[in-house]
Amino acid sequence: MALANDLRIILATRGALSHLRSIHSSSAASAAQKIKTFEIYRYNPEKPDEKPRMQSYKVDLNTCGPMVLDALIKIKNEMDPTLTFRRSCREGICGSCAMNIGGTNTLACISKIDASNLDRPVKIYPLPHMYVVKDLVPDFTNFYNQYRSIQPWLQRKNEKTEEKGKAQYLQSVDDRSKLDGLYECILCACCSTSCPSYWWNSEKYLGPAVLMQAYRWIIDSRDESTKARLDKLRDPFSVYRCHTIMNCSRTCPKGLNPGKAIAEIKKLLGGLATKDAPGLETAKLHK
Amino acid sequence: MALCLARNFCNRATIFNPAQLSSARYVSIKVVPATQPAVEGHDARNARFKRPQSPHLTIYKPQLTSMLSITHRGTGILLSSYVIAAGIAGISGDFSVVSSIEALQLGAASLAALKFSIAFPFSYHLVNGIRHLFWDMGKFLSIKEVYTTGYAMLFASIVLSLALTFLF
Repeated sequence: MALANDLRIILATRGALSHLRSIHSSSAASAAQKIKTFEIYRYNPEKPDEKPRMQSYKVDLNTCGPMVLDALIKIKNEMDPTLTFRRSCREGICGSCAMNIGGTNTLACISKIDASNLDRPVKIYPLPHMYVVKDLVPDFTNFYNQYRSIQPWLQRKNEKTEEKGKAQYLQSVDDRSKLDGLYECILCACCSTSCPSYWWNSEKYLGPAVLMQAYRWIIDSRDESTKARLDKLRDPFSVYRCHTIMNCSRTCPKGLNPGKAIAEIKKLLGGLATKDAPGLETAKLHK
Repeated sequence: MALCLARNFCNRATIFNPAQLSSARYVSIKVVPATQPAVEGHDARNARFKRPQSPHLTIYKPQLTSMLSITHRGTGILLSSYVIAAGIAGISGDFSVVSSIEALQLGAASLAALKFSIAFPFSYHLVNGIRHLFWDMGKFLSIKEVYTTGYAMLFASIVLSLALTFLF
């Protein structure tokens, strides 16, 4: 009886091992290949006069991880080392691998390869309406400068008496909850580059990602520069190029709602809403 | 000469000689503001590198969000062009819109289509405008609500335009 049990365990383990082997081996020994075509935007800055083009790669999904980023890495490792893209964390928290996959902006690392329809190729472009440095790598300079322009840090009026690091600033639970859905943004720029208004006015319109961060500091109960922050946005372009198209919230890979944040900024600018007084005395522990 | 002066200053034993100084060349120092390095704009810099612009309109998936938005703008443009056309027709003497349409002897179907083409932009722009007013108050802005109100608006505007078509 004990022998039979052992035998069963050995058989079961052997099954698991062979299963593992079939995942890891790149040999075509596994029965049916699942070939998926990836059409990827290519641009080589060393030949700037050549037009950007689409290049096809065929990947066997049996020997590839489940996400689009896995396929990109496989292509770079095994087929074409010149393919260039940004990637880092592979778990949707760094925002590096933001690109246009299948027509919408998302992170390659958390978007699954559609294995149900092998005939339909996966089309991958860089983030829309951006200058392309190489292949899938866009120039983020303007985006980062706009982020810098909203001064994304805590600002206090009384910095002389409130010595940094001496004591905490107090914030009520309610006030803190106002930052939920805002602070999680990873600045991948999927939303901004999905916005047609941002496409046409990226020089003067700040775009959904930066505006949501502007709102994150405007609404923070500890921040005292609220008026200055709002006044800086009071012009026809910074905020008001938003026409509530809502492509931003539709595409956000983190499930956030920049469109709503912009609407809240508009309410504050238009006097339809005012910022509440802090629930707790922020600098109480500094006294 | 400067070297000579320097040697004189360094050498304590040498007696200071004013004659020597008078033959020295006068150097006047002028304050000139430092030239700022030219700030290159984002577009100019990328143009210098000949970087292409990534594709946008042509590759972005048509979605309810963007399609309803562009239709709102389109109907707005149509409506204002209708108003301008009606205005021009109004000031141009003995031209009558009603009688000239009657003179075309249109069938019932094409007459209804003509009425619908005026009624639809109006009702779409009206109902979606109300949706925009709710948005401006910060309401219905989750993606789920954007889609529900979007379909509801589309349905309401078609019903309204059909009603307008067949009422008048």
